[in-house]
Amino acid sequence: MKTTTVLATLFLATAGFTLAAETPANAAPPEADACCAEKPAPKKDACCAAMAAAPFRKESIYQLDVTFTDDTGKTVPLGALRGRPVVLDMFFVSCGYACPLTVTDLLAIQGRLPAELRKEAVFVLVSFDVARDTPAMLAKYRADRGLDGQWVLLHGSDDAVRELAALLGVKFKQEADGAFSHSNLVTILNREGEIVHQRQGLQGGLDEAAAALAAAK
Amino acid sequence: MHGFRQHLPGQRALLALAVLGLAGSTFAAPPADMVPIPAGRYTPLLRSTKDAPQVAVAAFLLDARPVTNAEFLAFVTANPKWRRSQVSKLFADSSYLENWTGDLEPGLKAPLPAPVVRVSWFAARAYARAAGKRLPTIAEWEFAAAAGYTGPDGRKDEALNRDLYAWLARPVPAVLADVATAKPNFYGACGLHGLVWEWVDDFNTAMVTGESRADTGLERDLFCGAGSIGAKDTGDYAAFMRSALRSSLQANNTTSSLGFRCARDVTLTASTP
Repeated sequence: MKTTTVLATLFLATAGFTLAAETPANAAPPEADACCAEKPAPKKDACCAAMAAAPFRKESIYQLDVTFTDDTGKTVPLGALRGRPVVLDMFFVSCGYACPLTVTDLLAIQGRLPAELRKEAVFVLVSFDVARDTPAMLAKYRADRGLDGQWVLLHGSDDAVRELAALLGVKFKQEADGAFSHSNLVTILNREGEIVHQRQGLQGGLDEAAAALAAAK
Repeated sequence: MHGFRQHLPGQRALLALAVLGLAGSTFAAPPADMVPIPAGRYTPLLRSTKDAPQVAVAAFLLDARPVTNAEFLAFVTANPKWRRSQVSKLFADSSYLENWTGDLEPGLKAPLPAPVVRVSWFAARAYARAAGKRLPTIAEWEFAAAAGYTGPDGRKDEALNRDLYAWLARPVPAVLADVATAKPNFYGACGLHGLVWEWVDDFNTAMVTGESRADTGLERDLFCGAGSIGAKDTGDYAAFMRSALRSSLQANNTTSSLGFRCARDVTLTASTP
C-alpha cells in the first residue's frame, strides 16, 4: 500500500509528460535520478541505499509487487534487483532443449563482459516449474551448471511467475507430460528495472545483449 | 427470456447438487452473483501432440455476469493505483478506461450496469484478487461457455449459435448493453457469448507469434516445445476467434470489447459425522 501511494505521487508528478508508450524503452527518462544513474563510485553503497527508497520509475518492471525465493531459501522481492544491470531468463530445471542452451549463452555473455561490469551484472533465472523447482532443486542446478555468485535462481508462486511472464511478454504453458512450452526470450534490465533489450530466439544476439548490458544505466 | 429466469433456480439447484454430489462433503453455498459449474472435460482447440485430447475441469464457481462499470468503479475508488490517471502503462496501456469520462466517472459512454471494457489483464487480475476471486482459466471459461441455453453441449443449440454468430457479425456498439440483458446459459452464466470478449488467467499460453507465416511453421527457436500444434475442431469458428484474440494480446492491452468476469474454487468442507 505504501508503494501505491508513492507510485500515485510519481504518476501525478509526471502526468504532464508524454505517454510512456511513446517513449523508447532506452531513452533517458525525463527526470533521471542523479544518484545511481551516475557511475557507481566508492560511495556506491550509500548511494544505492538512498536510491532504493525512491519510487520506482514508471517503466520499471520492479513496480510488479511480487516476491520470490532464491536457491538458499531467502526471500527476494523482485525490486531487490534494483541498482544493478540484470540479465533475466525464465526457464525450468528439467528442460531438455532450449533452457540449457540459453544458460550456456548467458554464461558466454557473462564471459565477454568487461571485468568491472562482470562484477556488477546479475544473471537471474526464474523457474516456470513452481511445483518441482524448489530452492533445493535450484541449488542443485547452480552446482551442476557451475553458476557463480553473480547468478540468482528464483522460485515463485504461480501468480508471481505468471505476472512476471506477462510483463516480459513471455508465453508459457505446461504440457501434459509436465514439461513447459515457453518463449525463448532473454531480457536485459537497466539498474532501474527498465527493459532495455530483449533477445528473442536461440540464435546469436550475444554481442547485442552484452552491449545492451554495458550501456544499461 | 423470462422463461429462462423462471426455471433457472430449479436448474441451478440440480447443478449445485451435481457439483456437490460428493459423499461426506458439504458445499459452501455460492454467493448470489456466482453460479456453480460442474466438473467436466474440455477439449482444447489447439493442442500439441503431447497433450491429452481432453482436459479435466474441476467444479468451480463463475460470476453469473461480466464485471460491470459500477463494480469496477467501486474497485478503482478503493484502489487509487488502478485509476486511469494513475495506473502504470506497464500494467494498462494508454486506452485503459478510455471510454470513461474521468477517473471516477464512467459517464454516458460507460453506463454503470454495462460490462466494463478497456481493462487490462493486470487490472482484471487485481480486481479479482481484491474480490477474493481469480480469473477463470481458458479450460474453465471454454467449458462453461460450451453449454447451450438448454443443455451442456451448445454445439447443436441452434438458438445459441444464431445469437453467437449474429453477435460476431455486429460491430461493437458505441455503448454496450447492460449485463442484465444477457441470456443465461444452461449453467446460469449470462453473456459468455454476446456481450464482450473476456480475459482469462492463462491467456498468454498460446505458442504463436504475431506473424501468421511464422505460426504455420516450426518455431522451435522462439518457442521451446512448440514443434507440434494442431486444431481439433476446425468448424468452431468462434473458438478460433477467441484463441486468436488471446494470442494477440499483451497483458497491458485494453480494447473496446474486452472485459472479464471472475471465478473461484469450489470450497468443500468435510462434514463432521
